[in-house]
Amino acid sequence: MSATLIDVKNLRRVFDVSKPWLNRMLEGGHLEYLKAVDGVTFDIKRGETFALVGESGSGKTTVARMVVGLLPPTSGEVVIDGVSMTDPRQAQARRRLRRRIQMIFQDPYASLNPRFRVDAIVAEPIRAFDLILGERDIKARVGELLSLVGLHPDDGLKFPHEFSGGQRQRIAIARALASEAEFIVCDEPTSALDVSVQAQILNLMRDLQDKFGLTYLFISHNLAVVRHMASRIGVMYLGRIVEIAEGRKLFENPRMPYTKMLLGAVPDLAMSGRQRIPVKGEIPNPINPPPGCSFNPRCPLAFDLCRQKAPDLIEGVACHAVNDPAAAVPA
Amino acid sequence: MTQPVLSVRNLEVEFVTRRATLRAINGVSFDIARGEVLGVVGESGAGKSVTGLAVIGLIDPPGRISAGEIELSGTRIDHLPPEQIRRIRGKRIGMIFQDPLTSLNPLYRIGDQIVETIRTHTNLTETAARKRAIDLLAEVGIPAPEKRIDGYPHEFSGGMRQRVVIALAICAEPELIIADEPTTALDVSVQAQIIALIKRLGRDHGTAVMLVTHDMGVIAETCDRVAVMYSGRIAEIGPVQEVVRNPLHPYAKGLMGAIPTLAGEDKRLVQIPGSMPRLSAIPPGCPFNPRCAFVFDRCRVDRPEPIRQGTQAVACHLFDPVKETAA
Repeated sequence: MSATLIDVKNLRRVFDVSKPWLNRMLEGGHLEYLKAVDGVTFDIKRGETFALVGESGSGKTTVARMVVGLLPPTSGEVVIDGVSMTDPRQAQARRRLRRRIQMIFQDPYASLNPRFRVDAIVAEPIRAFDLILGERDIKARVGELLSLVGLHPDDGLKFPHEFSGGQRQRIAIARALASEAEFIVCDEPTSALDVSVQAQILNLMRDLQDKFGLTYLFISHNLAVVRHMASRIGVMYLGRIVEIAEGRKLFENPRMPYTKMLLGAVPDLAMSGRQRIPVKGEIPNPINPPPGCSFNPRCPLAFDLCRQKAPDLIEGVACHAVNDPAAAVPA
Repeated sequence: MTQPVLSVRNLEVEFVTRRATLRAINGVSFDIARGEVLGVVGESGAGKSVTGLAVIGLIDPPGRISAGEIELSGTRIDHLPPEQIRRIRGKRIGMIFQDPLTSLNPLYRIGDQIVETIRTHTNLTETAARKRAIDLLAEVGIPAPEKRIDGYPHEFSGGMRQRVVIALAICAEPELIIADEPTTALDVSVQAQIIALIKRLGRDHGTAVMLVTHDMGVIAETCDRVAVMYSGRIAEIGPVQEVVRNPLHPYAKGLMGAIPTLAGEDKRLVQIPGSMPRLSAIPPGCPFNPRCAFVFDRCRVDRPEPIRQGTQAVACHLFDPVKETAA
C-alpha cells in the first residue's frame, strides 16, 4: 500500500460555450471554449486533508467533480489507489473503487432527496453496494451512523425538511460514511452554514478523520477554514494551481504574488494592523484569459516574460518572478 | 454630546401570521453617531436585516413595527406615512443590498438609473445630474466612468455592480447608509476593495453607516462599534476592539471562538451546542439559555436587560451585581 492515495496528473477540462450552430451561421461568431481547468497536477496522501482554495471561477469545483468521476476530463488522468478513473481497461477495478469514494456537497438543501426519509437516504449507499443484507441489520447500522454524526437514531424517521442546515450537513456526512468510504471530496461543505454551526461541522469532520483515517479533498473559498482543516493547500487561479504548499508554510510565507494578495485581502479578526498588498482588479474573463501568466494584469511583479509564457509549477510555485528572480527586472 | 444621526429605542417588529404573532425584533436600542460605522452581526434569523429594513421603513405587511422609536437626526421617522418616508428613503438614508444584480434594473443603463435618483432628490438639471453621476462613478472607483455610464448592469462584474449600487446610495449625500451584507456575494479580493470604499466614504462625507453582516472579519476591519444580535435582541454592544478581543456575553464568546482565523493554531474550534431557536419557539427568559454553559435559574425566567460594563453593554444576568431572582 503506497502512501499516495490520489494522484492527479495534468488534468484539463474545456467547456464549449459557443452559441448554437444555427446562431453562429446566421449571426456570425465562432467557436468559443472555456478552459475551466488547465493542467492541474497534485497528489493526496492517505489520511491527509488536501485543500484547494481560490475565488469564484478558478476551477475548484470542476476539479472536485472530475476527481470523483462526475465529469469526464478533457485530458489528463486521475489515479486513485492505483486505479485509473479514465482507463477503459480498468472498469472492473473502478467499480469496486466507487464505494470508497464519496462526496459532500455545498448546499445541504439540494443534496438530500426531500421525498426520502433520512434513514432511506443514509441506507442508500449500503443497499447500492450490498454491504449489509437484512433490513434489521441495515436499520441498526443507520442508527449507528446517525449517532456517529451527532444525531439521534430516531431522527431516521424524519424527512430532511425537519432539519436545520447544520443537521442536514450531518446527514450528508452520515451518508458519505455509510459505504465505509476512505476518501471524501468536500465541496464547500460549510459555506451555506452559520459560523457557530460551521465550527460544529468542521470539528465533526476532524473527529471522523481521526477515528477512521479518512482522506479529504477539501474545496473552499474561505482561507481561514482551509487553514484550520488542511495539511496541504493548493491555490487555484483561472484553472491552474499557482502555488502548492504545506498549510503552515503557505500562510507564514506565501511566495506567489496572487497568494500574497489573497491572504492580504482576508479581513483580519485579530486586528493586527498588518501590512497588506493592495488588491487591484478582478479575475479576468476565463473565455479570453490574458496571454502568458493569467495573473499578469494584476501582478505587481509582472515583467515581459509573464505576458508571453505561462509559468510552470516549479517547487510548488508557478511564477516567473519567484522561480527566475534574475530575469525579473520590472520592464 | 452631539446628537446621534440614528437613534433606535426599544424597537419591536412583529410578523402576524395565522398561527401566531412572531416577534422578530424584541427591544433593540442603539445609536449611530456622525461618521461612525456600526456593525450588526449575528447568525441567520437573528434579526439583523429586519432591523435595517425597519430603520428605512421597508417592513411590509404582515410585518409591522409594534413598539419603539426610530429617530433620524432628532426627528421620529417610524410612524411617518408612506409618502413622507419615501422622500427620506434614498435622500437622507441610502441603502446597499446584498445582491447587486437584483438591486439594479437590468433594462436601464446604469447612468439613467443614477440620473433618475439624483433628479428625484435634488433639483439639478439633466446635464448637471449626468455630470454628477460621472463624478460619483469616478468616486466609487469605476474606471473610465464617462464611457461606462452608458453600460447596462449585465456588462459589469459583481464588484463593479456593487460599486454602482454604492454610487446610487450616496448620490443624494445621505446622513445614513444602511449596508445589508454588501460583500457577502463577492470574492475576498473584491470584498477588500468594497470594504475600503465604504470606510473611505464614511470618513470623507461624515456619513453614518450601519453595516449588517454575518462576517466577523468584515466587522473587525470596518466598524467602530459592533452590536452582536441573537434571537431578535442585542446580546452585546460596544467598541469593536473590546467586543472582538474581550467578548463578555457567553454567546459572543462562543461566536468569536467558533471563527477559524488565519493565525489560528490547529486546536479545535469552540463549539456552541444546538442552534438558534425558531421565532415561534423562543424560550422564556434569556433566549440563549438552552445553549449557554453558564445558565442558572434566573436565566430561564427573567429576560436580561443590557448592563453597562465599561465601554460595553451586555444583556446577561452574569454581569448583574444582584444575581438572584427578584421574585
